[in-house]
Amino acid sequence: MFKGRCTLKDDTGKRVSLHRSAMMCCVAALTLLAVWCPAEDLRGSVNLGELPQGWHDDRSRDLALAGLRGHRVILTMAYASCHRLCPATMDEFKRMQRVVDARGEIVDFVIVGYDPKNDSPAVWHQYRLSRGLNRDNWHFLSGSHAATLQLARQLGFPFWTYDEHVMHEPRAVIFDTRGFQRAVLGSRNSRWSDAL
Amino acid sequence: MLHKLLTPARAIVLGVILSTASLPAAADSATDAKLEELQRKLDQSLKMIEALGARVKELEGHAPNAAVAAAGAAPDPRRLEAVEQKVSEIETANATRQADDSGLPIHGFADVNVGNHNLYFPYAKGTNVGSLDFYLAPKLGDRVVSLAELIFETGPDGHVGTDLERFQIGYQFNDQATVWVGRFHTPYGYVNTALHHGVWLADALRRPKFINFEDKGGVMPAHTVGVWVTGALREADGKFLYDFYAGNGQQIQGGTLDMQTGGNLHGAAIAGARLSFQFNGGAADGLMVGVNGFTDKVNDDRTTNPTLVRLNMMGAYAVYDTDTWEHIVEAYSFHDKNLNGSPGTHRSEAWFAQFGYRARWGVPYVRYERAMLDQSDAYFNEQTFGASYYRSALGVRFDINAKSSIKFEIAHTRNTDDRPATDYRPSDAEIGLPQQFDEILAQYAVRF
Repeated sequence: MFKGRCTLKDDTGKRVSLHRSAMMCCVAALTLLAVWCPAEDLRGSVNLGELPQGWHDDRSRDLALAGLRGHRVILTMAYASCHRLCPATMDEFKRMQRVVDARGEIVDFVIVGYDPKNDSPAVWHQYRLSRGLNRDNWHFLSGSHAATLQLARQLGFPFWTYDEHVMHEPRAVIFDTRGFQRAVLGSRNSRWSDAL
Repeated sequence: MLHKLLTPARAIVLGVILSTASLPAAADSATDAKLEELQRKLDQSLKMIEALGARVKELEGHAPNAAVAAAGAAPDPRRLEAVEQKVSEIETANATRQADDSGLPIHGFADVNVGNHNLYFPYAKGTNVGSLDFYLAPKLGDRVVSLAELIFETGPDGHVGTDLERFQIGYQFNDQATVWVGRFHTPYGYVNTALHHGVWLADALRRPKFINFEDKGGVMPAHTVGVWVTGALREADGKFLYDFYAGNGQQIQGGTLDMQTGGNLHGAAIAGARLSFQFNGGAADGLMVGVNGFTDKVNDDRTTNPTLVRLNMMGAYAVYDTDTWEHIVEAYSFHDKNLNGSPGTHRSEAWFAQFGYRARWGVPYVRYERAMLDQSDAYFNEQTFGASYYRSALGVRFDINAKSSIKFEIAHTRNTDDRPATDYRPSDAEIGLPQQFDEILAQYAVRF
């Protein structure tokens, strides 16, 4: 049946196979599809490997952000004496943790301190102890002032300091397993776990 | 690379040959000469393919040797990592430096208020513009720090005035010591140096009356113009904070305390200190306690014999500040000595306690404040808002988003002194200050 559809007769009455023409059409269609729907265009997407280095976790151990590739990474910035926005961010992270736990997925949650002068590894260690944030896949990081500023700029965390207070916004960035930035969460997202 | 190019080349050549060979109609009508020509071209093509194949093998044969040579010259991985780290740090520093030179961002706060009384000057009612607060903190290097807070605000007379509320230039030796010179918030208690002028920052709608700013009804020297040394020493279970300062003595001008921003005329001075400990961890996590005191030679603006009083203050405070609670208690005791007229020492006291609960939906709070100010003490008697009083207040803060909040407060205030007119100021009744009043207040506060 199919063969019959693909067979025509030319002016001389000879049968001309259209298989070749059909294949050419398929190749052209696939080429067009590739042009219109690229698999993944990651140009301009920040990668974990491009972020500043030199971070220390709350046990003063070195942590390379690029080394977290292989799992999805959800990164936010916070400061330990924040009692308004950061607790809400931690609640969102805990909710996201429950969602990925239900899926059996391992995700790294990274919290980078806005205020390295005050948010030392010891302060972050106490922070997670007092709030019961004890999971090993939660990383509370401190870095140099320059690295903190640079990371905030690269990932779009606007902030300014009013004496000891850090003026900032609720925000988190999701990186895929290859370390590429995939999504940004903020105050417009009612439940951050919906983005997972 | 060459190998990659040869693969499609082979395919094209073969394709041409096969295409040529698969043209039966043409072949049928071709002459023998044409067949011979095709045969010759085919032979040439096959020879070319063989030659190219040999070249590819030759190049592939050299490749492993090159890789081995490269591996032999490979640097130490640890050294390479260190170099990469250094490059990353340099890039970070450069990017930061470039951004620092891109201009000075302007941030600040603003608020508007509605109530049956003005929240600071109860003789006025209705809607009032609070303040437009511009905060600048230009970065002048690694150790040179600066801070300016320029405010447009409505004064007691209802007119908008401009005030350089804070202007400080400092040098940061390290985390343990920073020296500031300029006009700063006098380090006493918690509120005066933690909540500053941006009302959005505070959970409560307004400061307690007696520790409000001088031009908003406060009776304490909220600002000092002078030198301030401050720092923190970190301990295992918290940090020890210290402040020492000295500056121009205050002067009462037209019933309001002035910090003598341009320097004072009589050499009077203020000097004081504050010592605090902030707990971090354990059952006391979030608790901060401290003591403070100052001595201040205060003048007034009379042309003859302006020296007024030696103001001596001792105080203590405690704050419990966590994700869930914000409790603040501050207490002050004054032992003032008259320096003009009849000699004598006067004792006054003032304190407040505020308890707040940080719920997800908002921050309700309750506050009680009490000031028992000796009216025979010229320091309080000459101030327009220097009467003793108590105030109880209940309020709530709602955050609309990360940058704006709306607050409500109901309060009852009663002035407990009868203040007739003196030769320096009119009576409270003449000013229009009610003896007692109830307030319903709303405030819309933003940061930008």
